[in-house]
Amino acid sequence: MSSADGAVANGGGIVVERVHRAFGDVVAVDDISLVARPGEVTALIGPNGAGKTTLMLMLATLLVPDDGSITIDGYSPVDDPREVRRRIGWMPDGFGTWDALTVREVLHTIGAMYDLGAAESRIRTDEVLEQVHLADLADRRARVLSRGQKQRLGMARALLHRPTTLILDEPASGLDPRSRIELRDLLRGLAASGTTVLVSSHILTELQEMADRAVIVSRGRSIESQAVDGATPVARTWRVAALDRGRLVAALREVGANWNDAGTAVDVLLEGDPQAAELLARLVESGAGITAYAPLHGEMEAAYLAATEDRQ
Amino acid sequence: MNARRLWTVARLELVQRARTSRWPLVLGAWFVIIGLVTFASWRAVRESNISSGPSLYDVTTFFVLALGMLVVPSLTATTVNGDREHGVLATVQTTLVTSWELVLGKLLASWLVSLCFLATALPFLAWAWIEGGLSIGRVFLSLLVLVLVLAVVAAVGLMFSTLTARPVASAVLTYLTLAALVFGSLITFLLGAVLLTDSVTVRVNGVPESYWAAQTEPPVEGAEPPANGGIPQPTQADCDVFTRTQDVSRTDRLWPLLAVNPFVVVADAAPSRLADGGTFTGGFTPMRWISDGSRDAKAGPRDGDDVVDECSYLAPAGSTPNSSAMTDDAFERAQAARDAAALERRNAHPVWPWGLAFLVALGLVSVLVAERRVQTPVRRLPSGTRIA
Repeated sequence: MSSADGAVANGGGIVVERVHRAFGDVVAVDDISLVARPGEVTALIGPNGAGKTTLMLMLATLLVPDDGSITIDGYSPVDDPREVRRRIGWMPDGFGTWDALTVREVLHTIGAMYDLGAAESRIRTDEVLEQVHLADLADRRARVLSRGQKQRLGMARALLHRPTTLILDEPASGLDPRSRIELRDLLRGLAASGTTVLVSSHILTELQEMADRAVIVSRGRSIESQAVDGATPVARTWRVAALDRGRLVAALREVGANWNDAGTAVDVLLEGDPQAAELLARLVESGAGITAYAPLHGEMEAAYLAATEDRQ
Repeated sequence: MNARRLWTVARLELVQRARTSRWPLVLGAWFVIIGLVTFASWRAVRESNISSGPSLYDVTTFFVLALGMLVVPSLTATTVNGDREHGVLATVQTTLVTSWELVLGKLLASWLVSLCFLATALPFLAWAWIEGGLSIGRVFLSLLVLVLVLAVVAAVGLMFSTLTARPVASAVLTYLTLAALVFGSLITFLLGAVLLTDSVTVRVNGVPESYWAAQTEPPVEGAEPPANGGIPQPTQADCDVFTRTQDVSRTDRLWPLLAVNPFVVVADAAPSRLADGGTFTGGFTPMRWISDGSRDAKAGPRDGDDVVDECSYLAPAGSTPNSSAMTDDAFERAQAARDAAALERRNAHPVWPWGLAFLVALGLVSVLVAERRVQTPVRRLPSGTRIA
């Protein structure tokens, strides 16, 4: 048992079991179960309307599930919302802020709402502003911030009271490439220090780099949960190009590969990375002159596409 | 409940308002408008032989109440759904701030803003006091009631801001509610007074019909018509106590409609009276008029034990019939006696405690509803409402 699994067994992290939530006739979350472990970044991925945001609202103590159970560090958001609020840092999709306040005042206000003393609030404000690279804008009014800067302020707000669990809904939305890299590094660092991080995003390539585990949801149901460690076989398509296309096709037929024509190249569907390595060796041996050999999608993207194939 | 978190919510609201609105300009305009109205009132009454203080005070107090009822809803009626629209309500709801701290903090902020408007009007109220005719107790009591009424107005606006998704809708509902209290109550009372009548028997000390029948003489053809239409003016010696059946409005059953009116509550809490500093209060004193009217309505028609005195203005017994009815002294004595009787009756029927109790109850219910509406986690989300 890993330390993360041990923490979950002791009530740490986020445990969601068969949660259901409807708004009238519209079922937003049908049957979602997931575990987000302390010390890990768990990615919640799924198409629009899959129920990710509704689930996060339930985790953030804002909505009551119709059915199922949720615990965060062993506390129920329904029965012990105050204990949960002490422990979570929530960042909604499209973080709104008080435009008339300066960045520093926003964080001081939030600090007071979390019962931080004035001195502690000042110290933490400076720390989180450094963490999200907003220190230079500390005395600017929030209304002059760009969308990306507001996202970073939302991140600072979520971190201010040292939560043990972070619930982040599309945190990279609106961030420039550099800020996205910084966000990734920040979340990895927080996870390394034992924080439970649950993050939803549509940008799967970034999640691939920051997440330890992915939970795929579709139509309000969790349909797959897997580690993002390269060890788990993920079926995906590889694009292969060669100087001698004839020899390449002959070699693929010889090994019985499942391939499709893709103009000057061919697309080959392989079960996992070991099979891809084996095929590459055979193609090199065939003398076709391989010039390109790469997966069309990242592991997470491939898993996501496979899991949500029925939507097409 | 944590006072620091409550104040954080209130302070946040105040800072937001102060920085996003042109409050100094608004307060300045408010000051100038009240100043002009007070000055105009002073000019209108200063040359009469009565104290102008009550007139100035009544006009200024009513003006503050009227403008307060226009301004305060604009502050509170958008406070919760406006925050939800801007995506900041859920941010607060996921902190340690409780639903009570959230609601009371917002209410406190709106109330403080309304008190700023009241404070701006204080110099003019002080001017009225200096002009004379006002007791300091009266000033304090009416200000206290005014402050409570403004808090109720703020609470009603706050409630509607939690009940509707759109700020415009909550503002309209708040103004409609206030209009119902101010105008609706008055119109309903007047209609009710016309429709709800009763026949009552009253005892009257007056000139009986028999007197007029006995004095009526057939006109003599060609003769000069005598003074007073040929009928000698009766004196008090001609009066008798008799009963009379007459139709009266049962305002004693309708007075609660007046009591819920914020203007009636403020006016009736401390109207200018004869007893105020011993100075006769006349002139333009709307608070006294409203108070007298509402208390008379509450007292209702006189019951059978009371005797309606219709003889006090007649010449005393022994006067020559057809001579001038009364001397000035006698008239003033009679008037004073009638005023004293009316004052005693009105003092026995105050309206404002009932009205204030109703308004405070309305405010408390509004706060309770608002608190329930911002509780999280939410089990049932009203249609058309987003939580974040």
